[in-house]
Amino acid sequence: MQFQKEVEILAPREKVWRFIWDVDRFIACVPGCKEAKTIEEGKRYAATMVEKVGPFKVEFPTTIEVLEREELTRIKAQASGADNKIGSRMKLDLDVSLREQGDKTVLGFVAGVDILGKLAALGHGIIKRKADQVLDEFAQAVKAKLEGEG
Amino acid sequence: MLRRFRLEEPESVAEVSELLGRFGESAKIYAGGTELLLAMKEGLVQYERLINVKKLTGLSGVKLAGAAVEVGALSTHHQLEDSPVLKEKLPALVKLEQNVANVRVRQAGTLGGNLCFAEPHADPGTLLIALGAKMVAEKASSKREIAAEDFLVDAYETALEPDEVLTKIHVPVPAASGRSAYLKFGYLERPSVGVAVAFNLNGAVSGVRIAVGCAGPAPRRVPEAEALLEGKSRDEALGRIAEAGAIAGKASQAISDLHGSQEYKEHIVGVLLKRAFQSALS
Amino acid sequence: MAKAMTKRSDAQSIPVSFTLNGRLQEIEVEPHELLLDVVREQLGLTGAKRSCDVQVCGACTLLVDGRPVSACTTLAFEVRGRSVLTIEGLAQDGKLHPLQEAFIEHGGFQCGFCTPGMILAAKALLDENPDPSEAQLKHFMHGNICRCTGYKKIIESIMAAAKKMRGQAR
Repeated sequence: MQFQKEVEILAPREKVWRFIWDVDRFIACVPGCKEAKTIEEGKRYAATMVEKVGPFKVEFPTTIEVLEREELTRIKAQASGADNKIGSRMKLDLDVSLREQGDKTVLGFVAGVDILGKLAALGHGIIKRKADQVLDEFAQAVKAKLEGEG
Repeated sequence: MLRRFRLEEPESVAEVSELLGRFGESAKIYAGGTELLLAMKEGLVQYERLINVKKLTGLSGVKLAGAAVEVGALSTHHQLEDSPVLKEKLPALVKLEQNVANVRVRQAGTLGGNLCFAEPHADPGTLLIALGAKMVAEKASSKREIAAEDFLVDAYETALEPDEVLTKIHVPVPAASGRSAYLKFGYLERPSVGVAVAFNLNGAVSGVRIAVGCAGPAPRRVPEAEALLEGKSRDEALGRIAEAGAIAGKASQAISDLHGSQEYKEHIVGVLLKRAFQSALS
Repeated sequence: MAKAMTKRSDAQSIPVSFTLNGRLQEIEVEPHELLLDVVREQLGLTGAKRSCDVQVCGACTLLVDGRPVSACTTLAFEVRGRSVLTIEGLAQDGKLHPLQEAFIEHGGFQCGFCTPGMILAAKALLDENPDPSEAQLKHFMHGNICRCTGYKKIIESIMAAAKKMRGQAR
């Protein structure tokens, strides 16, 4: 599943870039994400993703690896996790981009999400919709956090 | 094999509500089990307790209650397809119930369970929205009515509070001039697209209600499409049905998956709306 | 690690008294036990099959109070106070049921895996509607899947049995 999102943030690029690397504040914007930990600064992080669709709940302990980093411009990352209770795995390829647009910064995400195992039985459509929702909420939360701080 | 659970067998709605309140997410209402047990077998959900509601009395069966048909939430699809009251007053619902899943699911599965599990690829919700049905939700100290179009909120999500029990479904008895139809399409085990239409025919078409289901996360009423047909003569309405179908297709929140691409489902919505409308007119 | 088959001391035990193929049975089951497993393992009647396990194929069909159920998705305690019919209970005193005879005579089965469920579902159909049209038959039997026969012979078998049973009923 592929997703693409862009959000305009009324904040300078440097501020947005710094925010991304502030793990705790950044993770706080991801719906369902908790217990974020830095394993290796700038390279490896861990978090737990908890998502719910009706009565179905998944908890993925996730590891996030930063693969590429272009100062103030681009981040390429990969995340993977498994919920053994349900018997499912999640893989996420993420491309984050920043570009200036006047006094605004445009933060873009291109995400490739793969759900394997039992959860996929739930229905590709449901998962796709949920993932889209999560990314949307995330983008809006980042924007709100950055703009709200003046 | 299922994981072990404790069976509770309360004998009143108040008791059920109390158990739900006490045990929260670790308990679940169990009626026919046709959806719940499948999810449990897959390991997608786990419960410490199942609350068997089949010992509650007065919650199954169909009767005429003034201006509405009252359907008990514990009525099985089989009971509904055989109900003389439904055959007389709501034949479109009878036809729907006759075609739910297969004979074994109809034997065990209940209308209430179907609505509460809120599986997107289901039939009854869509028609009940078009018929203007209301769901009765009860707990120990209170009772309220929820319109069908507000009851099914999202995939696997209803408007019920955690300790509320769906007890009855009230369907207004259509006027003598009332017409309705439900059509579905699918080649997998569950339907991929479902469209329901209801209106009064008195020279002109009025009180139009259109609902689309199965394609999106929950069935939806489509007021924009209804407005196109409202008050029109039969021929005028038929002339605008393609346009209404396109609007309904977009409103269905269709998503591309194994059941078909988004475009395909939106197209099928249009086809079914036209056919349902024609069927209702005849 | 070996799986313990003994019941835990805190396990909830439900007494189930029911009629099985015409005879009274009294067993105890835990709430989570499925009817298919109890019938096959505890009661040793292996005619009913676990096939799709999601109540789509009908290979696990049993008749409870004369009505078809998916034993794979029915909790065993639900048959308390009811009568259950399995394929093993269809023949009477060594004489095959007209449906069983018809399936043999008309080639209504090949591998036989779907057959117990198919025959029981057909019995429920004919008990409800002794003279079904082909459309009615297909609608009722829609939930029983066969991978071998292509269904034509199954339909012929059921129609032939129905005719015979109507003749006998006079």
